Amino acid sequence: MSNYKAITLEERQRLRQKRIRKHQLPNILTHWFNVGVWVLLLPTGLAIMSSPRVSITPIWLQVSIRNLFGGPANLITFHYTIGLLWIFVLVWNVLFGFRRYFLPFAQHRMMLDKDDIGWLMTKPAQMFGLLKDKPLPPQDEYNAGQKMYMYVVMLATAGIMASGVIMTFHEFFPPILLQLAQPLHFVCVGAVVAGLMVHVYMGAFFPEEKESFFSMFTGEVSAWFARAHHEKWYWRKVEEELEWEERVRLQSQAASEHPQPAVDPQQPG
Amino acid sequence: MPQKNHYAFVIDISRCIDCRACLVACSVENSVPMEHTRIWVKDLGVQGEFPALKRSFVPYNCMHCDNPPCIEVCVSGATYKDPISGLVLVDQEACIGCGYCVEACPYEARYLNEKRGVVDKCSACTQRLEASLQPACVATCLGGSRMFGDLNNPDDPIHKAIKNARSSQTLDIVYRSGRETDPNILYINGDVENSNIKPKLPEYTLAEEGWKNVLMPLVGLGIGAAFLGQAVMFTKELLSGESEFEE
Repeated sequence: MSNYKAITLEERQRLRQKRIRKHQLPNILTHWFNVGVWVLLLPTGLAIMSSPRVSITPIWLQVSIRNLFGGPANLITFHYTIGLLWIFVLVWNVLFGFRRYFLPFAQHRMMLDKDDIGWLMTKPAQMFGLLKDKPLPPQDEYNAGQKMYMYVVMLATAGIMASGVIMTFHEFFPPILLQLAQPLHFVCVGAVVAGLMVHVYMGAFFPEEKESFFSMFTGEVSAWFARAHHEKWYWRKVEEELEWEERVRLQSQAASEHPQPAVDPQQPG
Repeated sequence: MPQKNHYAFVIDISRCIDCRACLVACSVENSVPMEHTRIWVKDLGVQGEFPALKRSFVPYNCMHCDNPPCIEVCVSGATYKDPISGLVLVDQEACIGCGYCVEACPYEARYLNEKRGVVDKCSACTQRLEASLQPACVATCLGGSRMFGDLNNPDDPIHKAIKNARSSQTLDIVYRSGRETDPNILYINGDVENSNIKPKLPEYTLAEEGWKNVLMPLVGLGIGAAFLGQAVMFTKELLSGESEFEE
């Protein structure tokens, strides 16, 4: 469990000054590209869905969005054009950033460990006001809830892309696939949006997570935030720093014993 | 805005000789592929006792219903009832050819053009109507069996045909409690109601039915619960203030 509440005020203020890098620039840009695309695609997608049996938006909204684009055909063309662009950019980013950005991103952030299971067993109960005294296990760079949502998003994104491609190039696919692609598209978007409610609330409105919102622009969080919310990650960062210190100390020792041209020791990332 | 025109086909069964010139004219006018057709001539079979035998034929196409079940299932609104003419049309730029509507049509008047990946059906030759011409099938009908006109226009010749007819029938069907298709093909001078031409109840594909009845409530529940959860949290935070975390 985390002892962060016992930290003194002075120490807190010192930790607040110290910045730790959480997001790399390509990941930040991909995130905001994704936001922009979702802002364009979600309303147009809802407006396309206009059958009385499965539509969920009021008719005036469907009509106004349709009229804005000039009829259902243009609306659909816009929707799939942006969608194809989204698929292209996302696939491009994952493929070309695979070793440099995606693997480091996935390594410590995706696999569930013992603490995550404990978190998943405690946190939902706490949300309903139970087990209030039970401490939460320390969390890594992303907590177990975020990890679970990541799985949902990755599966749903694959589903959205596959069904979207089938519907866009409809003349090359049998009708049965087209019939199934539509509900699949809907369900995948629904799963993402259900999590998005919490994601946007936590990121943009929840006061304790204020720093995580700004970190999506600067890429950095304070050491205090890391210590309080992502303790395991914070201690790993401290360890890296200590190792670096130790390496520098050994190098300077060696240099003083056997004088050699100075080599810049590499800073940890 | 009330519908301006109320286009309808009036078909005189006693005058059809099953020459199928209308099928040819339709396919040529609308570039229908060889293996498909937008319109049909149905055979009622031989009726009566020898020697008083009778055989009649029923020209048949989309009924341009007032309450079309096909439109209810079209997800994108690619098929729609034109608000001015009242015709049931397909916007093939928007259609993806999933075939929900093909299954739902009680008259089986739609077909799937798999090569182009779109659904196609009788459009009452809107391109000809705009030029004040009759639909191709009507213009070519040598027996004068097929007629087409505007029921809202009292001067239209179809009113005369209806008035002088011995009988006037439609292939109406109740497909939901209190909801009928109200088709806009009037069959005159013949009996189609008691014949082998039977409209079927609309069929809903498993994908569409499951979407409406299972996935819709499921996703609604998920999104609703998530929204409610964050709304409760948000209100709580608002009421308690964020003093706890600020030094």
